[in-house]
Amino acid sequence: MGFWQDFFRKNGKALGLFLLGSVACWMLLMIILPQLFMLDFSFRTNVPPPLWGTEAHGYTFEHYRYMIYGSAQSTESYNFVDLSVFGRTILTAIFVTLIDVALCYPVAYYLAHVATGGWPRLMVMALIVPFWVNELLRAFAFKIMFGSTGIINNFLVAIGILDQPFDFIRNSVALYSGLSYAYILLMIFPIYNAVESLDKNQIEAARDLGSPWWRIHWRVVIPHAKPGITSGCTMVFMLTAGALAAPQILGGPSSLWFTQIIYQAFNQAGNWARGSAYAIILLATCIIFVLCVMKIFKVKLGEIAR
Amino acid sequence: MTSDHIRKSFSILFVLIFFAYLFGPLIIMSLTAFNSSSFPRVTPWECFSVEWFEFLTKDQKLIEGLQNSVFIGLGVVCLAVPMGLAGALMLTQVRERVRPWYYTITISPILVPGVVLGISTLLFWDRVGTMFGASRESVFYNGFFLTIIGQATFISAYTMLVFISRLQRFDRVQEEAALDLGATHVQTFRKILLPFLKPAIASAAVLAFLASFENYNTTVFTIVSESTLTTFLAAKVRHGINPSISALAVVIVVLTLLGAALHEAFKRRELAAEKESARVAKGEQKSRGAQSRFLFDPTVIMILLIFTAGLGTAYFAGTIGLDECKTEVLAEKRRIVQERIKKRQQKTMFQDAGRQALTPLTQEEIKKRQAAPGTSNFQGLFSPENLEEQVGTSKEETQDAPGRAGTENFQSIFAPRNLEEQVGSEEQKQSE
Repeated sequence: MGFWQDFFRKNGKALGLFLLGSVACWMLLMIILPQLFMLDFSFRTNVPPPLWGTEAHGYTFEHYRYMIYGSAQSTESYNFVDLSVFGRTILTAIFVTLIDVALCYPVAYYLAHVATGGWPRLMVMALIVPFWVNELLRAFAFKIMFGSTGIINNFLVAIGILDQPFDFIRNSVALYSGLSYAYILLMIFPIYNAVESLDKNQIEAARDLGSPWWRIHWRVVIPHAKPGITSGCTMVFMLTAGALAAPQILGGPSSLWFTQIIYQAFNQAGNWARGSAYAIILLATCIIFVLCVMKIFKVKLGEIAR
Repeated sequence: MTSDHIRKSFSILFVLIFFAYLFGPLIIMSLTAFNSSSFPRVTPWECFSVEWFEFLTKDQKLIEGLQNSVFIGLGVVCLAVPMGLAGALMLTQVRERVRPWYYTITISPILVPGVVLGISTLLFWDRVGTMFGASRESVFYNGFFLTIIGQATFISAYTMLVFISRLQRFDRVQEEAALDLGATHVQTFRKILLPFLKPAIASAAVLAFLASFENYNTTVFTIVSESTLTTFLAAKVRHGINPSISALAVVIVVLTLLGAALHEAFKRRELAAEKESARVAKGEQKSRGAQSRFLFDPTVIMILLIFTAGLGTAYFAGTIGLDECKTEVLAEKRRIVQERIKKRQQKTMFQDAGRQALTPLTQEEIKKRQAAPGTSNFQGLFSPENLEEQVGTSKEETQDAPGRAGTENFQSIFAPRNLEEQVGSEEQKQSE
C-alpha cells in the first residue's frame, strides 16, 4: 500500500490518475487482454458469430490438431501444406536474417570506423530515407525490377547472360531480396550503434600486436558488437516471419507465407478460430526464437528493444 | 601494403553496392512513373509524361483511402502520444523489482508481429461488443475505431521510447525546486516537465503519424469494411499493376523526404535552442544565430524551392509534346509488330502454311500479350480470327499455285504492294 500512497503524493491526484489510467488502458485493454482473448478464442470451436459465447462455442484442440494432422477427412497422415509453409517461412526468415547480417556488418563497420569527414553522418541520414517509404511500395519497386520485362531481365538478356527472361518471381528470388530489403535498416542501426561505441584504440592495439584483419574482427569488433547484432537479428527475424505485404506482392503463385495462411483463414475461409490458433503459433515461435537468441548470445531484453 | 589497398577499395565497392541496393529500386520505381508506357518499366523508355499523376487525382477511392489514413493517423497521434508519455513517466516511478517486467510488457507490442496485433484487437473488441450486447453498427465493430486502437498498441511503445530517451536527460532537481517553492503537482507538470518534453512530444507525434500512415499488417485486419491508403494500395498492386502506383510512390517518397528534412531542421533548431539556453544559464551573452526562426531557416527554404521548381519543370516537360511522342512510339511499335508478322508468315510458308503450325504460335502470342499489358494498343491484332484471316490468305495463295516452285510464292508475299495492303488493313483495324 505504501507504494500507491507514495505514488499519489509524488504526482498529485489528477496527474496520478492520468498516469495510472493511461497505463492501465494500454497494458490491459490493448496489450494483455487482447492476447489472452486471442489465446482463448484459438481453443474454441468454429461456429458462426451469432453463436459466440453460447454453449455451442466450447473448447477444443481442433485448430492446433489441424495444423499438424490436417482435416479428419484427409488421407495424408500430416498436414503437409500448412506445415511446409510454416517451415519454409521460418527457414526463409532465418536465411534473410543471416543475409542482412552479412550485408550490414561490413557497412556498419565502414561507417563507424573507416569513413572519414562528413560522409558517415550523411550516409546515416541517407539510410533512414528508404525506411520511411511504405513497405508495400518497396515491395512494388522490387516487383517492377524483377518482372519478366523488368530492368534486370532486360539487362541480363541484353548483355547475353540469359537468352530469355528468367522468372525471378516464381523462383522466389524477388521475394528473398524484397524481404531482405524491407527490414535491413533495423539490422544496420543497432550494429552501427554498437560498433561505433568501440574505442578505436582497441583496434589499433590489436593491429600493433600483429593481429591480421580478420582476427581483429573476430576477437575484438564482433564481441563488442554482439548486443547490436543480436538486437538486429531478433527484430529482422520477427518482422520477416510476420511480414504480410512483401509475400503478398512478391510471392509467386505457388509459394505462400505463413501470415498469408492466417490472412486466408480470416478473410476467405471465415474461420477466425483457426486464424487465431495459427497466429498464436506464429507468436509462440517468435517468442521462442527471441528467448533462444537471448540465451545463446547472453543478452537481456532491455538491450534488444532499444 | 598492397593487400591493404585492395581491401580498402573492396570495402568502398561493397558500401557502394549496398547503397545502390538501398536506393536503386526506389529510383527505378520513381522513374517508371514518368514513362508513358502503360506497364511500369524503364526500358524501353517511351515518352516522358506526367499523365499518371493526373490519373491519380481522378481516383476517387484513392482520395477516400487517403482521407481515412489521415484521420486514423491523427487519432493514433491523439492516443499514442499521451499513452507513451504516461508509460515513460510510469517507468521512472515503478519499483525497481517490477521495472523489468513492466518494461518487457510495454515494449512487447513492437516485437509482436503486426498481424497478431491486428487479429487480437479485432477479436477482443468483438467479444467486448458481444458482452455489452452492442449492435453491429456500434463502435466495437467500427473499422476506424479498431484500427486506431490496434495501431496505437505498438505505436505507443515507439513514442514511449522517444520519451524515455528524453527523460533520461531531465534534471529531477528542477521539479523538486518547484514543489518546494509551493507549486502544485499539476503546475509542476505543466510548467516544468511539459516544456522540457515539448521537442520529444513533437517528434513522437511525427513518428506516430508516419508509423500509422504506412502501417499495413495490423490495419488489414482491423479496418473491416473501410479502406486506408495502404489497403487500397495493396488491393491495387495485387490486381494488376500500372504506373499510377509508381506515381503515388513518387508523391509519397517526395513527401517523406520533405518531412524528414523538415524534421531534421526542426531537431537542429531545438538543439541550437538548448545549447543557447545552457549558455544563458551559464551567464553568457545571447548569440544571434539561434534567433533564426524555423520557417525562415535557409535549408527549409532551399528544400521548398527545389521541390516547387522540380514539380513545375516536370509538369511542363510532361505535358508539352507528349501527344507527338506518343504517336511516334505507336508507329514504332506498329512497325515492330508488322515485322514480326512478316517473319511469322515467312516461317509458316516454309512450314507448309498449315493452320496446325500456326495455332500453337497464336496461343503463345496471346499469352505473351496478356503477360505484358504494354502492348494493349494492339488488341485484336492477335485475336484468333484475325490470324485465321491471314492464314486464309496465305493458304489461298499456295492453292493458287500448287505446282509452282516455293520461291515464287514468297516473291508475291514480299512484293511491296502486298505489304502495304496488309499494313493498311492493320491500321484500319486499329482505327476502328
